[in-house]
Amino acid sequence: MLKKSIIAGLVLSVAMAAPAMAGSYPSKAITVIVPSKAGGSTDRTARMITETMKTQNKGFEFVIKDIPGSGGQKGFEAINRARPDGYTIGLVFTPQLVAHIVSKRARYTLDSFRILGNVAQDPGIVAVPKDSKIMNLADLAKMAKAKPLTVAVNGIGSDDFLAAKSFEAKAGVTFNLLPTKGSTEQKAGILGGHFDAAFMNLSQMIAQHKAGDARIIAILAADRDENMSEMPTSKEQGYEVYMTATRGMVAPAKIDKAILDQLEAMVVKAVNDPDFKAKAKKGNIYLAPMNGADYLSYLKGLQADTQAVYDKAPW
Amino acid sequence: MLEHAMVVLQPYSLLTILIGTIAGVAIGGMPGLTATMAVGLLVPFTYTMDPALGLMLLGGIYCGAMYGGSIPAILLNTPGTPAAVATAIEGFPMSQKGKAGLALKVSVVASFVGGFFSVIILLLFAPLLARQALNFGPPETFLLALMGLAGIISIADENSSLIKALIAGLLGMVIAIVGTDDMSGSLRYTMGYIELIDGIDFMPALIGLFSMIQMLELAGMRKKHEIDVSALHKKQRNDPLPKGIFKYIAVGAGTGTVIGVLPGEGATIAAFISYNVSKRISKVKELFGKGNPEGIAAAEAGNNGCVGGSLVPTLTLGIPGNSVAAALMGAFIIHGMIPGPDLFNEYADRTYPFIMSMFIANGVFLIVGLTIAPYLARIALIPPAILVPVVSAFAVLGSYALNNAVFDVFLMIAFAGFGLILKKLGFSLEALILGLILGPIAEGGFSQGMIIGKGSPWIFFESNIAKIMWVLIILLLVPPLYSYWKNTAMVKAPSLDDQD
Repeated sequence: MLKKSIIAGLVLSVAMAAPAMAGSYPSKAITVIVPSKAGGSTDRTARMITETMKTQNKGFEFVIKDIPGSGGQKGFEAINRARPDGYTIGLVFTPQLVAHIVSKRARYTLDSFRILGNVAQDPGIVAVPKDSKIMNLADLAKMAKAKPLTVAVNGIGSDDFLAAKSFEAKAGVTFNLLPTKGSTEQKAGILGGHFDAAFMNLSQMIAQHKAGDARIIAILAADRDENMSEMPTSKEQGYEVYMTATRGMVAPAKIDKAILDQLEAMVVKAVNDPDFKAKAKKGNIYLAPMNGADYLSYLKGLQADTQAVYDKAPW
Repeated sequence: MLEHAMVVLQPYSLLTILIGTIAGVAIGGMPGLTATMAVGLLVPFTYTMDPALGLMLLGGIYCGAMYGGSIPAILLNTPGTPAAVATAIEGFPMSQKGKAGLALKVSVVASFVGGFFSVIILLLFAPLLARQALNFGPPETFLLALMGLAGIISIADENSSLIKALIAGLLGMVIAIVGTDDMSGSLRYTMGYIELIDGIDFMPALIGLFSMIQMLELAGMRKKHEIDVSALHKKQRNDPLPKGIFKYIAVGAGTGTVIGVLPGEGATIAAFISYNVSKRISKVKELFGKGNPEGIAAAEAGNNGCVGGSLVPTLTLGIPGNSVAAALMGAFIIHGMIPGPDLFNEYADRTYPFIMSMFIANGVFLIVGLTIAPYLARIALIPPAILVPVVSAFAVLGSYALNNAVFDVFLMIAFAGFGLILKKLGFSLEALILGLILGPIAEGGFSQGMIIGKGSPWIFFESNIAKIMWVLIILLLVPPLYSYWKNTAMVKAPSLDDQD
């Protein structure tokens, strides 16, 4: 009898103590704000990573909330405004995240977020029409000096724009810059030969390059990319112009430290999951795992670089 | 080919297509729910499905939604998609005359023919057409938008006041100025509202200007509008299609498919240009705007023609023809099927069944549409006391659902209030929405063209396509302007005589 009541008491005390411990989190589904439209590659990245996080961590459920538009700003602001109770986190992407801060449009700063880590990236590239005489970055610089080349970028203040501005500065040329409404217009213009060149991202043009419909002449990185190892980098070609579009996870700044650590560990674990890696590869998403601290220092560096471009030619 | 057709004819495939298409019709019919949204939301869920089946589901939604938009346009003057605005211009007057059944029949047959034709083109000529479409650059995009805007003249000359229609169109373009200037990145009239950075979304405007205003007018009516009910019951069901209607369906199907192939916001432009052309070639021009089935035929064949057309550059080159095709492209990529030649070699066992499934999808909505048309026509008989609250609730929900934003609900209500005043003053809301949608496309094409031309406007006259388009624009503009001028001159002439 006594034994039974002791056991019952123990069970009861454990049951009562449980909600007070970390185990009580999460008691409901976690909303993930994705500042992009449903079905796009940013949205797909978020859905894949949260699905992996869900299978790896019992009791966790995630709900994706897409907030498209304004170069991600609406979504970034929503993450910033969210209650820091651990039930709202979000996906951010660069360089738009810092570009909005630099152009003084954002109501958030980098301090508004706690950085969980980076998931994916999409390296910058330079693409030209398939029958173009421009074979490499040196040709691009040479031709641009002879006459102004029409070079398409995806909107002012985008990663393409910043990369093109950086190339202009390094090569001492001035492009006839043409802002488009998105990569679709860039692709159509390059494939149709309406533009001389375009600064884009690898995933947007890799299929067209392989099919021979367009030509990528450089990847804007220091090291070769595993998805296209035969392509010389901008560094190899003598131009230190680097650009990549990263996609990472963040939480509102005032989030509880214990929950933050738990979430960060979950993100890092999910990104390194073999099953997730296979899915990402199939879905044309290039992984670039970074933990919270590394990603934060990357973001800070990027903000400084973007500030430098903005100070020279504000938009 | 045969084995691909067999995949489509499997019971599972047929069921998937059936579900997709019917869901599509419902989505297209609801104000605020769009095919883009539906496909976008379902893309992640097709990940766990068999790739071919997943694509068939989405294809069915696309085909169904494009047709579905015409149903409320005809019955309630509340187009579910901007591409159905031209349909409403002719369809709603027909409903008021008690000919809703016939209007629905014309619409579903035209949608079917337009959709079916465009899928044939997609199946047979995709790679060839895609290459041709690439010649279409920013200058040509500007001209295409001009061709669409020429539709304003077409809306006007029957409702008499050309000046008011032009002012309304211009007003639409002025409203479209709000937002980010793509060329400089600077903000125009956003007044610190983050919601306005992308400009004013045309969907809340569409819902406010049509669905909501229609409900306000219904609610404000002293007496219920008398509809000729007798026709609805008996002979309507067997009403034959009007003679010679297939000429207009053919015009729409051709125009829609061609415009669909070109990258950009195709379906709305296609519907309006088809409508405009059909009016020019019609023998009964004066009936346009008063319930002419020819207009419905052309507009509906036009917007459904875009479905197959828009997939031509999407599948062959990876350049989506419109926003729905862009969302669909996501579904291909998620299964590792990167658009390009691979789709037709390595993944032929999925791509061809997908294309063929759209034949079935078109057939499904044809049968469904023809069967339920007589019953749907009764929606026009629902008393306002029930109809007004239900549609208004959908209008609010739909506006919110577009971007998960309360701001869009206020925007919708503002458009309803502002639009009601304009409508009472005799300004054309169709012209306004046309300006709002096509203004930014024209602006983008124009400024990009000027950059490519390095500041010289000659770029707009350089290519052969551009020259042909100028001829077409002149053909669309001059005859109606001439007849308008003649009419006003005739009205003025007798008054001069009076003074003598």
